[in-house]
Amino acid sequence: MEISLFDAALKGFLNLLHLKVFLAMLVGVSIGTVTAVAPQGLGMPLVYAILLPVVIKWEPVTGIALLIGASSVSAICAAYLPILFGIPGGAGSQATVLDGYPMGKRGEGRRALGASFMAGGMGCLIGTLTLLLAIPAARPLIYLMGSPELFVVMLWGLSMVAVLAGRRPIKGLIAAAFGLLLATVGQQAQSGIMRFVFDQPYLLDGVSISIVALALFGIPSALDLALTKLGVEQQPAPLKGSLFDGVKDTLREWWLVLRCSFVGVWVGIVPGLGSQVVDWLAYGHAAQTSKNPENFGKGDVRGVIAPESANDAKDGGDLVTTLLLGFPQGVVTALFIVALLAWGYLPGPEMVKKNADLIYSVVWIQGIAGITGTLVGFFLAAQLAKLAQVRYTFMVPIMFIFILMGAFSVTRDALDLVAVVGFGILGYFMRRFGYPRPAMILGLVLGDLMEKYLYRSVASYGFSWLTRPAVIALFVVAATSFIFTVRGRLKSRTQEPSSPSLSGAMARAQDES
Amino acid sequence: MRANFTLFFLGVFLAAAWIGWEWPDIAKIMPVYVAAIPGLLLVLVQLYRDATAWDGRQREGGGGIDMDEVYSSKLDKKIEIRRTVVYFAWLIGGALGIWLLGIVIALPLLVFLYALVEGKEKWSTSLIMTACAYLLIWGLFEYTLETRWPPGILFP
Repeated sequence: MEISLFDAALKGFLNLLHLKVFLAMLVGVSIGTVTAVAPQGLGMPLVYAILLPVVIKWEPVTGIALLIGASSVSAICAAYLPILFGIPGGAGSQATVLDGYPMGKRGEGRRALGASFMAGGMGCLIGTLTLLLAIPAARPLIYLMGSPELFVVMLWGLSMVAVLAGRRPIKGLIAAAFGLLLATVGQQAQSGIMRFVFDQPYLLDGVSISIVALALFGIPSALDLALTKLGVEQQPAPLKGSLFDGVKDTLREWWLVLRCSFVGVWVGIVPGLGSQVVDWLAYGHAAQTSKNPENFGKGDVRGVIAPESANDAKDGGDLVTTLLLGFPQGVVTALFIVALLAWGYLPGPEMVKKNADLIYSVVWIQGIAGITGTLVGFFLAAQLAKLAQVRYTFMVPIMFIFILMGAFSVTRDALDLVAVVGFGILGYFMRRFGYPRPAMILGLVLGDLMEKYLYRSVASYGFSWLTRPAVIALFVVAATSFIFTVRGRLKSRTQEPSSPSLSGAMARAQDES
Repeated sequence: MRANFTLFFLGVFLAAAWIGWEWPDIAKIMPVYVAAIPGLLLVLVQLYRDATAWDGRQREGGGGIDMDEVYSSKLDKKIEIRRTVVYFAWLIGGALGIWLLGIVIALPLLVFLYALVEGKEKWSTSLIMTACAYLLIWGLFEYTLETRWPPGILFP
């Protein structure tokens, strides 16, 4: 039964007024904080992959509180590693290294952290507000979308992922095609035909997305720790200065925060862009619109404020397309969709119509967790900084436990272990040779949904679904954006990058980190 | 070496197209027409680019953003390979240990050995880490959450 959006928002809030939901959100916030601060490796994709087999057995709202609580905070506290060690704290805080680390080295680490918490918290709230406003604004359009339109949206998103997101578009497309192929392993729901099963009962239900995500992201990340011997061979910058100087800086730069937050929301909404892009776009925007761009890269606090606010606002934009269209914008939202499907919800128009209250619960959790994470960052800055210095000899075995246990908990079959090690080795080689792993995960998650929508489209309309006005309009939009993107890429290759430009900043960061 | 890894995808897409060719249309649209055949064409383009060092030339020329983490290591090649092989040996050893001994014994043992041998931590630190790992696996999962892990083949 459909309810009004006001009632849905109220019900969404009331869903949270249970002790276990609130506790789950706090646990999620703690997990998100620890994983953001802990030495590189424990990123959100890995955390989601570990939590997924556990939370899908819980009640939906409790599980959502844990997952969203963790992911909404992770970006807010992701600046520790860039500022203290000069290494990216995960996707989305790579650009922070450029100015955060010089600030840390010259004794302004606390100021940089204060700026990142404040900018992150403000970005998170702006992203959440956008999501809140997007639901009533998009509802009339969403009601017009059926399976054919959703199929085209997903096809569009997948093509943009591969083309937009990398210097290696062909490799991105290959990885996405490989993910799509993996998604077809198992017994096909529509026909009952066994595909790529090779008489192995283990493969009947297909390849577990949890195992693939754990292996592709967890194993190479733990390897990074073992290779760099973090905490043993690398020492942090001292944590000095005042957090409140950073807060004052951020409030003084409120206009920059607002602009960069909208850059983040935009990156979140546009299919194909993602965490790897958002901080660079915001950083590039801040540097190019500054009156004194020469300070960027030398410890300018605006170089921390811009990427951090955009990175946090992006989560709100991500959830717009994830919840309203059912299209994930990255690995984390892809795994969130897997969780929603396991609870029996189909993200997209169906969820907007039938479970709007749950969407509002996500909005509330996102906002409350963002505020909580910001406060945690301020009050526990010194303690969290110590966590960032944990030696690899502690982190690697912990990651081994979570990777192997997380994989083994999927079906508790020895083949789970073979699968996680095998995909881990694949993940290592993919990273080593520049095949983007997120494209493969997106292909894997979307493959199943795309096939479902395609089947429904053909079953309901034959091939006349291709002539539906909304499908044609979406194809035109998709083709236009595709052509413009390719054209933009070709243009950027022929133009000399201006300094300080996005490309220049990226190149410097890659050298420095 | 770079081309060799692309050959892995060539093999996968070829095998998928070959295996799926006999399936009815409803079953082969996605795996064969949407994934394997376009994948094959893309692999051929990539092989050409690998052979002509196209990617390297394009990167020198300018822009673009990497979707995934960029692989960059400043370690000496030999040290990097040795550490990578050792790391995967520990991981595979852990997986084998779970199969042989069961998760409740194997993972704390893995933590103990890794901390002591690879991490060169003190005996006392290694034992504390092992106890924490045991408490996490047995105490939290087996006892509190009543997760029943299958036993290893040596302790049925």
